[in-house]
Amino acid sequence: MPKHRAHPLLGHRLLRGAGAGVLVTALAACGGGSLGGDDGGGGGGGGEEGGTVRVGLVIPQAGVYTPLGEDMQQGWELFLEQNGGELGGYTVETVTADEGEGPDTGVPAVQRLLTEGNVDAMVGIVNSATALGVAEQVTEAQVPLIVANAGAEAVTQDAASDYVWRSSFTNKQVAAAMGEHLAAEGIGPVYVMAPDYAAGQEVVDGFTEAYTAGGGTVAGQALTPFGTTQDFQPFLSAIQPSGAAATFVFYAGGEAVSFVQQYDAFGLKGSVPLYGSGFLTEGSVLDAQGPSAVGVRTTLHYSTEIDNEANAEFVQAYQDAYGELPTTYALQAYDAANVLDRALEEAGGTSGEAIVEGLDAVEEVEDSPRGPWTFTNQTPEQPIYLREVVDEGGTLVNAVVEDLGVYAQP
Amino acid sequence: MIGWFDANLVSILNGFAIGSLLFILAVGLSIVFGMMDVLNLAHGAFFLVGSYLSVTFLAGASWGGFLTALGVAALVGLLAGGVLSGMTEPLARRPILDQALLTLGISLIVAEVLSIVYGNDVRSVRPPPGLRGSTDVAGDAYPTYRLLLIGIGLALALVVWLVVERTSVGALVRASVADREMVSAMGIDNRKVKVAVLGLGSMLATVAGVLAAPVYGARPGLDETILLLALVVIVIGGLGSIRGALIGALVIGQVESLGRALLPDLASFILFGTLALVLVVRPRGLFAGKVAHS
Repeated sequence: MPKHRAHPLLGHRLLRGAGAGVLVTALAACGGGSLGGDDGGGGGGGGEEGGTVRVGLVIPQAGVYTPLGEDMQQGWELFLEQNGGELGGYTVETVTADEGEGPDTGVPAVQRLLTEGNVDAMVGIVNSATALGVAEQVTEAQVPLIVANAGAEAVTQDAASDYVWRSSFTNKQVAAAMGEHLAAEGIGPVYVMAPDYAAGQEVVDGFTEAYTAGGGTVAGQALTPFGTTQDFQPFLSAIQPSGAAATFVFYAGGEAVSFVQQYDAFGLKGSVPLYGSGFLTEGSVLDAQGPSAVGVRTTLHYSTEIDNEANAEFVQAYQDAYGELPTTYALQAYDAANVLDRALEEAGGTSGEAIVEGLDAVEEVEDSPRGPWTFTNQTPEQPIYLREVVDEGGTLVNAVVEDLGVYAQP
Repeated sequence: MIGWFDANLVSILNGFAIGSLLFILAVGLSIVFGMMDVLNLAHGAFFLVGSYLSVTFLAGASWGGFLTALGVAALVGLLAGGVLSGMTEPLARRPILDQALLTLGISLIVAEVLSIVYGNDVRSVRPPPGLRGSTDVAGDAYPTYRLLLIGIGLALALVVWLVVERTSVGALVRASVADREMVSAMGIDNRKVKVAVLGLGSMLATVAGVLAAPVYGARPGLDETILLLALVVIVIGGLGSIRGALIGALVIGQVESLGRALLPDLASFILFGTLALVLVVRPRGLFAGKVAHS
């Protein structure tokens, strides 16, 4: 995920710092209780008498991840709207908190939700470092958190907690599917590139492990400075001499746009086909990439083009509501609402313990737009799709080439 | 040697393209700071204004759009510089940090306004028609637009140098730097000189934004990245020196391009490593302006 660095004094980081951690809006389905205010009608962790559940939606509202936060909010709201503002029979009060860009803003935001927000559960978290940073706090406070994006392996592995669940993906899961697929295709030596930070490293590892296990060889590897690379030329120039038959990369946001365009401009697109983790061509970056992206193949657990009934309905409803195509980020929040709905239905109350038991009891989420998935180790075991960017009457979409089958966290 | 050169030709060429871009960007910052003692931290934000203007005028769709964006950006830059000059005037006798804080505040406001107007999505701009493809350079494909950038950068370097060193306007500017009191005793309002220099410097920032849009696109946060690069360039080159800005930009262009290609593992450190090295060896930059600051 992109994140630009700058001298702390030089930029709107100052503004972000001031705004982050402060809970901005209280989006309540029925009248919003302001944070910290004593709303007699709702909260309190016990749903028995009021029949309400307070959910903290922790999403980026400032900084480079803002577009992801908007998508997640829309996905969350769409599910609530379709279900009369209720989850599992409880009226939902959503308290939105600004995650900002990193743990420096995200952790305090969660902290405030825990101490003053009076929430029964939390949904959201884009940044993996933030997800890892709050795992201990939510466990101590016994407030279940459904991570709706952050893909670090550790969230549900090394740092696993009964109270931390995930409705999105893991970095290695998505990359491993591509590794296995390319190995089966026998495509030849692959050049691997990613930004030089934790998620980039995990994607590279996930791909390389799966690809070499399948008999493939890696032609070379480059980890580019994260957030400060505007120009990929120095790294692109190494691809052709390495004898690579294909390139596999993981970039997102601004870096994904620059990379895909420059890969084309430096004449590589025609000679060395480009493959990637799905975030390379997901959401608004695809429009910005333009014709350079056509033909790029990626793996991801979602595409608007998946052919099933639930997805057709989801895409239609989302378009009607917001006038744009849903993204995987919107879907992840939508599904987080879905599993919370099922968990609350199962649970005998809104206490953290009860919700966790409810989540534990969730079996197959058969009506998800991404296709049926289940929780395995509290993170989705789900179908991964091979997608190719195609131009459909002027709109670029990720067409589904193949369903690669169901993958669990490696 | 020939083999090495051949293998790295694209990186070297790209170093010149990026260097040219950095020069256009940094020279404005350098002359404003070196000559007028105003540290304009809004320079990066002005750059981003230029980039977003090329989004507005669809600079990628036609030459008309591209040239309109350039013209409007130049005008906006001139105006912004004039306004900035007026705003810094009351602070002229205060420490330089006060002016830096003012321009930092302006840059925050400009960046937030841009984010409100254009949203937070990454926007990209195509090069104008005819410059979109790649050109074959000794067997390697190289984007045509970047070749043009090299030409523009060098031409602009010549123009700026001629204006400052060879025209009477330039002489006036240099005189204001050397002895402001004397210039004003001769009946010349040195506030006007300041307005002109700040206008020109800011214009170079917005124009650089338009020229860079097909390479860097436009997105929130780009202003900070760009400002940082420009500051590195002028620190390496020496403040207030046009020659210094050119050499600094070309050095950083090669460091960011050839340096990263040769030492990919050190890519994160090589830029600031170079900066540190220059500061140790030549603390005032490679080509510090001849005039000492008061």
